[in-house]
Amino acid sequence: MDTLVDKIRQHDRRSLAEAMSLVDSDAGEAARLKDLLRGATAGVPWWGFTGPPGVGKSTLIDALLTRLRAACRRVGVLALDPTSPVSDGALLGDRVRMMRHAEDRDVFIRSLATRRCAGGLSDATLHCARLLELGGFDPVLIETVGVGQNEADIASIADFCVVLLGPGYGDYIQLIKAGPLELADVVVVNKCDMPEAQRLLGEVREELRHSARAAAESEGGPAIFGIEAKSGKGVELLLEHLLARDQSARNDEARQRAQRRRVLSEIRRSALRSCAQTMDRALADFSSTSVFEELVRGRSSLSTVASQLGADALAALTSGAGDNSKRTEAARNTRR
Amino acid sequence: MKDGGPKRILIGKVGLDGHDRGAKFIVRALRDAGYEVIYTGIRRTPEQIVRTAVDEDVDAIGLSLLSGAHNELFERVVELLKAERARDVVLFAGGTIPDQDIPHLEALGFRRIFTPGTPLSEILSALADELASAPATPDEAAT
Repeated sequence: MDTLVDKIRQHDRRSLAEAMSLVDSDAGEAARLKDLLRGATAGVPWWGFTGPPGVGKSTLIDALLTRLRAACRRVGVLALDPTSPVSDGALLGDRVRMMRHAEDRDVFIRSLATRRCAGGLSDATLHCARLLELGGFDPVLIETVGVGQNEADIASIADFCVVLLGPGYGDYIQLIKAGPLELADVVVVNKCDMPEAQRLLGEVREELRHSARAAAESEGGPAIFGIEAKSGKGVELLLEHLLARDQSARNDEARQRAQRRRVLSEIRRSALRSCAQTMDRALADFSSTSVFEELVRGRSSLSTVASQLGADALAALTSGAGDNSKRTEAARNTRR
Repeated sequence: MKDGGPKRILIGKVGLDGHDRGAKFIVRALRDAGYEVIYTGIRRTPEQIVRTAVDEDVDAIGLSLLSGAHNELFERVVELLKAERARDVVLFAGGTIPDQDIPHLEALGFRRIFTPGTPLSEILSALADELASAPATPDEAAT
């Protein structure tokens, strides 16, 4: 494992790619690699990009890549696309927009499937970003799946979060709803060649002027940009702003803050997954009990039964933690 | 290349033909069959395909080609894969490829060539077989 880490440090692409598969599959030595990574990284800012499907996230990253490469930065990109809830398969198509960088050895693009994780990112995303850091890529750009109104994971691991919106997002009511706008450090309205985009840009300005976030932030809230990612119009100005944010995220205090936030997010994911697995097993047994039948007939209180089930599952988790992980591993082996 | 999770397959079009209906059909079918499919889009160079395959650490590469330039382009892909020490990847192809060219492509290392009219079920079961029989420790097996 130490050899693998060394090889990645020496810019060995294939080792980097295989290490990403290892953390993505969560098999074998993945846990040990993750532990090694945690201590070996956290010096590089991660830029988050999120927004609805088709808004132009990949196209914007493509445009930024060209400019970052001109400035001699080695850039890592993680691009998330959704896993099918039906087949467990996925079409990972973000890199279609970035193919002109496919031969550049100083760009590393990796497509990740959500593997049924909710929240816009996969469990492996954070570890893959650390691997890119270890491989000398700086900055690391992370593109979430196309998000709706309830995917906020990116804000917990990225140093700053760019939210893209575009024509067709809907009217002002959509902007006022809780959603991606609340996570934004930077709001980008893309496709500004379309007339509707100008209206949207105005509405975003108006909305952010009134939002709680703007009032709380001393510098006046998120920055707002109107761009055309495809033609590159407005991208220079946006990049200048992002590089300034990148720079201010590099002091020791900011790095420590980012690392603590990431580790919290990591442990939360890991613990919740264990809980969910235990709970699912408990529920499978529960559905054949008479208590369940009573519930279905409306003869008992659900909240009492639910808290009892929760408590039992937690107790099972505490008493058989090692046992559980073995069972999970066994389950995975059988599925293959 | 990895133990758990769905297998990853790159589907790409090399060369100048822009007819991607077949490629997209396969992409969709593989997704529905539970694979993670990395689609590169049309008009890619062998260099782009191989670099993508390595970075994405795919288990298989499927190339779609209708232009007739398969012998030259596929040879180049295989050459580059060798240079990247990535020969353990399962190679397959589809498109309008004349029967007389198939032995040559198979000798290059293409495990399956699917010509027009091949039933989807046949493609899927052939791929599943090839992926199941891929060497467990690719590095050593390839060198």
